[in-house]
Amino acid sequence: MDEVIRVEGLTKNFGQLQVLRGIDCSVKSSEVVCVIGPSGSGKSTFLRCLNGLEEASGGRVLVHGVSVHDNSTDVDALRSEIGMVFQRFNLFPHMTVLDNITLAPTKVRGVALEQAREQARALLIKVGLLDKIDAYPNQLSGGQQQRVAIARALAMQPAIMLFDEPTSALDPEMVGEVLSVMQTLAEEGMTMMVVSHEMGFARRVANRVLFMDEGVLVEEGTPEEVFDHPREERTRRFLSSVL
Amino acid sequence: MEPILWFGWFRADIIAEYGVMFWRGLQMTILVTVICIVQGTALGLAIGLARLADARHSPARQICRYLLRWPSTVYVSFFRGTPLFVQILLIHFAVLPLFINPADGLLISGETARSLKQNYGAFISGILALTLNSGAYISEIFRAGIQSIDRGQIEASRSLGLSFARTMYHVVLPQAFRRMLPPLGNNAIALLKDSSLISAIGLAELAYTARTVAGAYSRYWEPYLSISLMYWTLTLGLAWAVKRLEARYGRGDTR
Amino acid sequence: MNLLNKILLPLGLAALVAGNVHAQNKELVVGSSATYRPFAYENPAKEIVGYDVDIIKAVAQKAGLQIKIVNTPWTGIFAALNNGDVDLVISGVTINEKRKQSYDFTAPYFEARQLIGTHKDSTAKGLKDLAGKKIGVVTGSTGDDIASREFGKTNPDIKRFESTPVAISELANSGVDAVIGDNGVIAFRVQEHKQLKTVSDPNFPKEYFGIVVKQGNKALLDKLNAGLAAIKADGTYAKIYQTWFQAEAPALPAQ
Repeated sequence: MDEVIRVEGLTKNFGQLQVLRGIDCSVKSSEVVCVIGPSGSGKSTFLRCLNGLEEASGGRVLVHGVSVHDNSTDVDALRSEIGMVFQRFNLFPHMTVLDNITLAPTKVRGVALEQAREQARALLIKVGLLDKIDAYPNQLSGGQQQRVAIARALAMQPAIMLFDEPTSALDPEMVGEVLSVMQTLAEEGMTMMVVSHEMGFARRVANRVLFMDEGVLVEEGTPEEVFDHPREERTRRFLSSVL
Repeated sequence: MEPILWFGWFRADIIAEYGVMFWRGLQMTILVTVICIVQGTALGLAIGLARLADARHSPARQICRYLLRWPSTVYVSFFRGTPLFVQILLIHFAVLPLFINPADGLLISGETARSLKQNYGAFISGILALTLNSGAYISEIFRAGIQSIDRGQIEASRSLGLSFARTMYHVVLPQAFRRMLPPLGNNAIALLKDSSLISAIGLAELAYTARTVAGAYSRYWEPYLSISLMYWTLTLGLAWAVKRLEARYGRGDTR
Repeated sequence: MNLLNKILLPLGLAALVAGNVHAQNKELVVGSSATYRPFAYENPAKEIVGYDVDIIKAVAQKAGLQIKIVNTPWTGIFAALNNGDVDLVISGVTINEKRKQSYDFTAPYFEARQLIGTHKDSTAKGLKDLAGKKIGVVTGSTGDDIASREFGKTNPDIKRFESTPVAISELANSGVDAVIGDNGVIAFRVQEHKQLKTVSDPNFPKEYFGIVVKQGNKALLDKLNAGLAAIKADGTYAKIYQTWFQAEAPALPAQ
């Protein structure tokens, strides 16, 4: 299996604060990796370093062998290969659902508008929201907005999808619809990296679980290894507090 | 012309006598306002973006700071911190003669300069001063509007692979523009009213016409009441247009 | 005025017309536009000085009047007189028939002629040669009157400014081809610019400056005339004239 992302010695400081203290890991094609850990452990920062939303302070991130944080890298081209779904959805409120989805393919990839619309319809069917195609984001529930956001990211046909706590801002009854879309994606073979507090999802869907605490990768392994037989004391403490 | 009295005191004949001048003055006021709104908005956008310019790596980081942010900050501070009236006089009697001057203009000299100054001198200076002034105010509106847009919008757009410029154009500015419409409308109305100050350098707009009539007849109600009504009508029209724009672009805003 | 009162009083604007009433013994307010060197201007110490100022001070002394000189912009000077902000005006005001219909004048205190200021290379010999040229004047001044009568009051070639110095600056910058104004001021200003000269049109009529009071204010007018006659008689007038114009005072008509 080929490697989509490789992270080597990644560090990140915000001023004096060391948020990431040397992370090494890799994600292979079609792998689903869940990142768990307590709040403030650096999970989101780690994810945001992967597509260059955050500058790395040290180390490097390679996507398909290209260094994300190099000055000479065309970061826009790289990002179009990396889909990202945010905690707060971040749909564009002045555009309809359709326009939200077709914007990037037409402007970045130069896909013909009609073709982009056709693809958008297919994606909306996939996330179960074809009837909302002409709605504006503020007419949708949180769960619906997040599903549109997933469709928007998928429209770029990315090599990997990053999910940054995709269900944390949702009302409990809407969590399920988003997770089931994500599970379908995983089953279709999408490479995914998910920062989440949804332990059930991680156990069910992930190939691999990373446990992060205080800016370091404490432990990694299959869901069974991490959830059922954690080797590290910190992992055990965290799991007992959330499960 | 025989004196014509309206309501027993309003000398309508005076206004009629200068009718053609009022008409030309009205056109000039509208022309100046429209030109300055368009130019001021373009300039304001550029300056507003310059004030927000930043980059991650040197030398772009230094360029942003010393060649974009600092000059634009000084520019905005100067034009907001000095009276427009003073700016108009400064530009017309000091700055413009430096560049356009029959004897030794840096830009244009000789007979061209003379005819340019005579036919369009006050017009050029007035437009320049008002554009620079409103550009400074509008840049603040743009800056505030852009900064009011949630960072998540920019991150979502950039994460889709849209460049900074495309993110601005497709995502940030359309949203910011809607929020900026009310202050932009106020600014346009202020600009319309401020255009009257250009009369000081002899541009034949509405206030100039009123001054001419007042000077000729030593009567003040007739000319100034007349142009007040014209300005009022124009500002009401502008306010109405802004309302229409707001209604049109207001959809989908979650605020 | 009665009709105006009827309209204004119900509107609660009584204060506007209340200036009609004024007491006899109070300090009289003299309006003068202090941008009219050498007649009235502010010296570096912010005092208003000049020929007009010396005249009115001498007149007031002879007539036993308490006066206070207030710098009043020329464009609003008659309005200030009308609404009682000032009691009299001495500001290089030319006595003419039109003004006499609305105001009362004292005997002349200065013989004025209009004078043309223009570029040294100009071939103009008089007013007629200025046809088709841009002419700068002070709004509502005698120069404005002459130019308006000759070329049409709504003619865009006539460019009106707030004051003679501004008009002369515009001339120096080639914004206009000529400026028509009062001899004392034009001569004084033109010698400040080496590229300018004066042209005297023999057809310009002799005119006189007078002190202005509100129409019907006979008590004040009589006192001012008495004071003026007194300083002419005792040589004070000739001395003041000599100080400011370095010339013999011409004989002035009594009325």
